[in-house]
Amino acid sequence: MKRLILLALVGSVALAACGGSSNNASSTTSTTAGTTTTTSVTVTTGNPTAAVTLNEAGSSLLYPFLQELVTPLHTQYSNITLAPSPGGSGKGISDAISGVVQMGGSDAYLSPGQLSANPGLMNIPIAVSAQAVNYNLSGVSNLKLSGDVIAQIYEGKITKWNAQPIAALNQNVTLPDTTIVPVRRVDSSGDTFIFTSFLSATNTTWQSGPAFGTTVTWPAAPGELTANGNPGMVQTCKATPGCIAYVGVSAEASAQTAGLGEAMLENKAGQFVQPSSDTITAAAAAGSGNVPANLAQSLIYEDGAQSYPIVNFEYMVLKSSQSSSDTALAMRTFLAWAVDPAGGSSSTYLAKEDFVALPATVLPKVKAAIAQITG
Amino acid sequence: MTDTAERALGQATPLVSSPRARRRSELTRRDVVVSTVLTGAATLPTIALAFLAYEMLRSAWPAIVFNGTSFFTTKTFTLGNLYATSVETHHGYQAAAGAHYGVLPFVFGTVVSSFIALVVAVPVSVAGALLLADKVPARLQGTLGIFLEVLAGIPSVVFGLWGVYTFGPLLSRTVFKWMAALHIPWLSGPTGAGQGLLTSSLVLAVMIVPIIASTSRELFRSVPVLSKEGAVAMGMTPYEAVRVVTIPFVRTGIIAASILGLGRALGETIAVLIISGNALNLYPHSIFDPFSTMAASIAAILDGALTDSTHMAVHALGEVGLLLLVITLIANLGGRWLTRRFSTTGLPVGRGV
Amino acid sequence: MSRRRLTDLTFWVVCALAFVFIAAPSVSILASVIHQAVPSLGWSLFSQRTNANGIENAILGTLVLLVGVLVVAGTIGVAAGIYLAEFATGRSERLLRFFSDVLSGMPSIVVGYVGYVTFVVAFHWGFSLLAGVIALTILVLPYVVKTTEVAFRQVPTTIREAAAGLGIERSSTVLRILMPPAAPGVLSGLIVALAISTGELAPLLFTAGFTDQNPSLAPLHRQVPYLTNVTFTDLSLPGARAHATAAAAAAVSLVIVVLLITAGRALSRRSRRMTQGMML
Repeated sequence: MKRLILLALVGSVALAACGGSSNNASSTTSTTAGTTTTTSVTVTTGNPTAAVTLNEAGSSLLYPFLQELVTPLHTQYSNITLAPSPGGSGKGISDAISGVVQMGGSDAYLSPGQLSANPGLMNIPIAVSAQAVNYNLSGVSNLKLSGDVIAQIYEGKITKWNAQPIAALNQNVTLPDTTIVPVRRVDSSGDTFIFTSFLSATNTTWQSGPAFGTTVTWPAAPGELTANGNPGMVQTCKATPGCIAYVGVSAEASAQTAGLGEAMLENKAGQFVQPSSDTITAAAAAGSGNVPANLAQSLIYEDGAQSYPIVNFEYMVLKSSQSSSDTALAMRTFLAWAVDPAGGSSSTYLAKEDFVALPATVLPKVKAAIAQITG
Repeated sequence: MTDTAERALGQATPLVSSPRARRRSELTRRDVVVSTVLTGAATLPTIALAFLAYEMLRSAWPAIVFNGTSFFTTKTFTLGNLYATSVETHHGYQAAAGAHYGVLPFVFGTVVSSFIALVVAVPVSVAGALLLADKVPARLQGTLGIFLEVLAGIPSVVFGLWGVYTFGPLLSRTVFKWMAALHIPWLSGPTGAGQGLLTSSLVLAVMIVPIIASTSRELFRSVPVLSKEGAVAMGMTPYEAVRVVTIPFVRTGIIAASILGLGRALGETIAVLIISGNALNLYPHSIFDPFSTMAASIAAILDGALTDSTHMAVHALGEVGLLLLVITLIANLGGRWLTRRFSTTGLPVGRGV
Repeated sequence: MSRRRLTDLTFWVVCALAFVFIAAPSVSILASVIHQAVPSLGWSLFSQRTNANGIENAILGTLVLLVGVLVVAGTIGVAAGIYLAEFATGRSERLLRFFSDVLSGMPSIVVGYVGYVTFVVAFHWGFSLLAGVIALTILVLPYVVKTTEVAFRQVPTTIREAAAGLGIERSSTVLRILMPPAAPGVLSGLIVALAISTGELAPLLFTAGFTDQNPSLAPLHRQVPYLTNVTFTDLSLPGARAHATAAAAAAVSLVIVVLLITAGRALSRRSRRMTQGMML
């Protein structure tokens, strides 16, 4: 009897979903594993009847994580193939908008303009990631920096590593008289987005000047270099003594191997922290209290003594209305599986990229968004 | 009539056919069908050209109206704040808050890098081609000519790869260091890892050498042997014979070939994108600094421009592309006009032929 | 040695140096590409796709694009060249040829931009094989047209007159009698078109996209992988293996271009010999 009721409810939800209307929250226990919330959304998932390839393009920070998920996803759902590719968050967003890929990967949430110009466009977070600030100074480890100082470096106002503002933060360290070479991303980048969000939050001149975005007008800092993608940032910084670069955590392992130092950044509480699963989780928890329904939420410079200041949601940007019900089903299935700790959000996959799982408070809203994908 | 007209418009080799008689009464129906199909095909290049020009103009138009003359006077190119909630409006078109689209930095980069490339490539190509044509024995002609053909066929992305990993570092360790030590203004400064204006210009030079050298070689070969030998018979050294006989004979053709090389350099996208360092809004303070060209910046910024919800960024890039199109067109047409007026022999073989 | 002789010697030494400056980069490029590609050599390079450090999909994609260019640009270009050589007269002939020459100077990024804005977005084709082939066609068409035209014009008029004297209609003359001697020249033009297409990147970046999967023959909605893209994107993905794969992709595209150039040279030599033989 119970099974019949459940089947009937699932069936009606599925019908309602394909009818194109959105919210169908019902107070039943969720069909996805693991959640314990009482009011939750039923998301229809499952293996599609025909083979579906989900094309993804975008964030180079998210890309390694998606690459990891391809095989386990296919093993679990034999008719779903995930085909990720890098290219930068800007490309991810624009490709998703123009429809050349089904999902765009982005470290940046959609802008108000993009949301209003494209009804039905959604950003759905699947993980929490962070960004480190690396530098190439031999013999100097655990350098302390603040967002204000970094902004001045990228504005060209601080040009030497032993300049007063930096020395003031690092009293017990002898800093060399090397010229600072700032490196920035040239592709339209979510890493640029979160980095400039951090600079905007900590430096008023930056806020009123370049502000933040996947592409910004960088001030003319002398000697500034450009690079493509996170790996390109690591490579350029490795080849340039005195460089400073912003690198997503999924590329941190290669940054360490390359001999680059990882800066300790000053957070809102005045503590100097490096990105680790503890500091990232703390920031995510602090920032997830009041996430809007459209899930466009910044996690930059959050409160908390342990919070790391450059933390972000990793988003899949997609359209709620898909071309076929199989594609919609595949998409919902992939996303639901990706945020499931028993699926994509298991610590094995996340830890490899230094990501952390979505905070539990956000999950219901994420599921509600996933349920809106119809075809 | 036909022969001279055709030669004037430039053919790679002298033509053999003579005027074809047109006796319409002798055209069969099959002839008409075939000739109609062929006519259709022949109009396609023209249609493609019109299509490109029209689309560029159409895409650039909102930006042309929005920018007005500031496109040519503003020193910065910025997409503005794409995450702001307000927009700017000029002349009825919207753009992101704080957006300014000025093309000057790109024009500067394009013109300077192409100019340096030309200044380096033309003497090297002409001198090398002269050697190949006049001094190298016939049996070696083919083998030595291979270098030119290989260079002509190398993809630009491979030039970029080579510039970043091999040529750039080599230059910065050697030539640039020596140049910087001389402390000539604008020719010295931090040499970096070898990416910047001078390296890009030199790689561009290497890329356009095949065009200029192949044509020059053909031109040198077409100089009447009697004139050259007559000069030597009169007691001139080979060098003097070249100076007095060969160069005046081929001068215009070489200029035309150089202009075609210039056209290639102006439009080169990928190699410059890789080696230039993509300095948005920065005028290079020294010849080693990063810079940006019109073609490379379109390729670099287009992905970001597509995230602008007002779409003005895409239109602005279209305007940059339209300007590039116009400049390249002028360069190419200038070359062809020069050929028509002065040339007596062959012409630019273009890439790889 | 007299001053004049000294000047002469210096001049030719300078010319030799110039030639070295031409030869050295071409050797350096080939050597550095091969050197950087060596670590990746092995069967897995050709059996794996780009998601596993192989280039199987990129090679197949490039070949598919080349076939597309051959079919589209080949037929249109040869037809147009024949028209200009055999059927056109007067002002229209000059104009058509002029516009074709103007098209040959088009910057490849402009073709890429227009291709993206129209085919990919406005026509809703997405990154696709057809968009990529059309973009490449626009770029190489002028070369095919010109070489075809020259190849036909090089066939001696005696043959045309003989055919006319026998009462053979124009179209048959052109297609059956003039084509064989012109064929090597025409083919060499097609080969140039293929060589250019192998090396292009800017237009394909915005029309063909890229994918880790093997290319499908579907003309629309499916992105196409190709070799130059592998070289380009792997430039920004460090790690010795990825870099070696990028160099390997560059090496393979160079090999294809060199093979094409060699074939082209052999064909144009044969073409010259044939028409010379015909001038009895």
